[in-house]
Amino acid sequence: MPPPLQAHRLLISHRRLPTPARRRLTAVSSLQSAPATTLAPGPATSSILSIRESLLSGERTAANITSDYLSRLRRTEPSLRSFIHVADAAAEREAEELDRRIASGEKDAVGPLAGVLVGVKDNLCTKNMPSTGGSRILDGYRPAYDATAVRRLREAGAIVVGKTNLDEFGMGSTTEGSAFQVTTNPWDDSRVPGGSSGGSASAVSARQCVVSLGSDTGGSVRQPASFCGVVGLKPTYGRVSRFGLMAYASSLDVVGCFGSSVFDTATILSVVAGHDKMDSTSSSQDVPDYTSELVSLDLLESKPLNGLRIGIIQETLGEGVDTGVVSSIKGAASYLEQLGSVVDEVSLPSFSLGLPAYYILASSEASSNLSRYDGIRYGRQVSANDLNEIYGESRANGLGHEVKMRILMGTYALSAGYYDAYYKRAQQVRTLVKESFKDALEKYDILISPAAPSAAYKIGEKINDPLAMYAGDIMTVNVNLAGLPALVVPCGFVEGGPVGLPVGLQMIGSPFSEGSLLRVGHIFEQTLQNFSFVPPLLAER
Amino acid sequence: MTAMLSAAAAIPRLRLVTRPAARLPSARSNWLRPLSSATHVTPPAAAAGAGSLEPPDLHRLANAARISLTLQEVEEFEPKIRQVIDLFGQLQAVDLESIEPSLRAGTATGSSLREDKPETFVNRDAIVEAIPSYDDPYIKVPRVLNKE
Repeated sequence: MPPPLQAHRLLISHRRLPTPARRRLTAVSSLQSAPATTLAPGPATSSILSIRESLLSGERTAANITSDYLSRLRRTEPSLRSFIHVADAAAEREAEELDRRIASGEKDAVGPLAGVLVGVKDNLCTKNMPSTGGSRILDGYRPAYDATAVRRLREAGAIVVGKTNLDEFGMGSTTEGSAFQVTTNPWDDSRVPGGSSGGSASAVSARQCVVSLGSDTGGSVRQPASFCGVVGLKPTYGRVSRFGLMAYASSLDVVGCFGSSVFDTATILSVVAGHDKMDSTSSSQDVPDYTSELVSLDLLESKPLNGLRIGIIQETLGEGVDTGVVSSIKGAASYLEQLGSVVDEVSLPSFSLGLPAYYILASSEASSNLSRYDGIRYGRQVSANDLNEIYGESRANGLGHEVKMRILMGTYALSAGYYDAYYKRAQQVRTLVKESFKDALEKYDILISPAAPSAAYKIGEKINDPLAMYAGDIMTVNVNLAGLPALVVPCGFVEGGPVGLPVGLQMIGSPFSEGSLLRVGHIFEQTLQNFSFVPPLLAER
Repeated sequence: MTAMLSAAAAIPRLRLVTRPAARLPSARSNWLRPLSSATHVTPPAAAAGAGSLEPPDLHRLANAARISLTLQEVEEFEPKIRQVIDLFGQLQAVDLESIEPSLRAGTATGSSLREDKPETFVNRDAIVEAIPSYDDPYIKVPRVLNKE
C-alpha cells in the first residue's frame, strides 16, 4: 500500500490531452501562492520554444526575458545559493545586443538558443569568467578559453548567466563539498540539492535560468536531477566533448545537462554534442536532431510506447532503498505499461561490485588528474623555500578535505604493488558491468531504476560519514563504468519538506541511444497528469 | 571543514621528507616490488584477502601526492580512508580469473588523433595572467634542492 501522498498523486489517466496551450514564460512568475499539489497540473512545455516564439513574434524582448529571470534569480539566491558567480551585467548586455540585431532585421539573429539563459557548472571553463571548480585552489582563476560545450551554446545564441555551485572538482553528492557555499534544495531549504552538480540542478528547478550544464562522473547530473525534480541527462561517454571540463576521472567524466522539460534537455544536447578535435575521446558518431521525434501530445497514439520492452533493475528496488522511492518507481513502471510497453524485472549480476570499482577507478584517476593543481601555472600559490614545499603547501592550503582524501586513496590504489589488487581488479569489474548491461540491453530496449536510494536528505546528515554518502551512488555509478546514456525524469513525490520531495526515474539505454531515451521520457512527461514539478519557492512573493 | 590558512604557521605541518625511492622495512619489501616482475603473480597477500594488504601509510602517501598534511588531518583522515579502503577490499573476494580489464567504456568511437600541425593559441595573454609568479618569459619557482 503506497503512502497516502503517493496514492493521491497516482490518479493517472491515460486519456489523451488536447495540445496544451504553450505556457507563456510569464506564467511561471504569476504562480498562485499555493503548494505544488494544487497548482494547475500539466506537463512542462518547452521554455526554449516559448522564448523563441516570443522573440520571433516580437511579443517580448530578450532584455525583458533576461530581466525577468535575473529578478527571480536575485530573489531566490539568498536562500538557494546556486551560483558561485553571477554574470548579470554581461547577460543584460548580451540580451540588449540580441534585441538590437533582431530589431535591425539581421537574418540569423535568432539562433536556436537565442535569449536562453544558461547556468554553467563551475568545473567547465568559461572565458574571462571565474572558473573555480568549486575549489579555493582556483579562486580567481579566469580561463583563457571556453569549454567546447560552452562555446557551442554561445554560438547558438545562449546567454551564460553564471557559474553554478558544485562539490569541489566534482567529488561529492551533496554540494556541501564546495569550498564556497552550500546550495539548498528548492523544495526544502534544509535539504541538499544533490551533487556534485547541485547548483545546476537547483538553478533550473527554481527557474533562475532556463537550462544548465553539469558533469556526471558517478551520478552527478542524475542524482541532483532526481533530488530537485528536474530533467537530467547523462550522455554516452564520448557524445559530448570534455574539452574545458576540469578532469576528475577521465574514463568516466561526461558533460551533461538539465532542463525543466525533456524537450529543452534534448535541445541542449543537440547543440553541444558531436566530435571535437580537441577531445580525442569524443565520438564521431552523427548527431541527430534530438528534438525531431518529440512530438506534441495530439499526435501520439493511445498506446504510444507499444512494443517497447523495459527492464526494471531488481537490485535497485530492494534493501536500502526508501519505500517511497520504490513506490514511485513501481508507479512509473505501471504507468509505462499503460502507455503500451512491457515491463519485466531484470537482474544485473555484478551490480553491487560497481561501487567499490567506481571509487577505485575514480580516486586513482583523480589522483593523477589533480596533480596539475600545484600552484605554479594557475591558481593559488603558497610561497615556500623549495619547489616540493610550494607544491605541498599550495595543495594543502587550496584543496578541500574530500578532495585530499580521494587523492590519497587514489595514490594508495596506484602505489607500486597495489595496482593488481585494486586498479586492475576494478577494470576487470568494469568489464563485468559492461557485459551485464550489454546482455540486459539485448533483451530490453531500456532499463529503469531510481536515480538514488532516497529523496533529498538533510544538509549535514552525511557529511561525516563518507561511506554513507558513497553508498547513495549505487544507482548511478554502474552506468558511468559502462559509458551508457541515462535520462532522469521526475516521476513522483515522497513525504518530506513542505509539500513533498521529488523522485526521479532513471532510464538507461545502449550507447548513443539518447534519441530513444528522450522520446520515451518526453512521452512519459507529456502524458503524465496531476504532477507539477515547480517548487513552492517560486510561489512565494 | 576548516580552511587551511597559509598564514597560520602555528599549525604544525608534516615536513615532506623525500625518502630514497622504495626503501621499506624488509618484512614488506617482497610485496611492494615494482610491478614489471609481477604481472602474472598475484601477491600472496592479495590472494589471501583484503585484510593482509598493508594499510595506507598516510605519511608516505602525502609525500607521493605532494600534499602537506597537518597532524590533525592525519588523525581525521586515517579512519575514514581505512573505511573506504575496506570498501575497495570487497573486490578481493571476487573471482576475476580470465576477465579482461577494460581501460575505458569503449563507447568513444572514431579516429581519435587530429593532424599533427602546430597552431598558435590566440589568447596567450590570459594564460600568462593566470600564472601566480611570473618573470617574463619565465615562470618563477624557488630552487629545486637536491636531497641526499
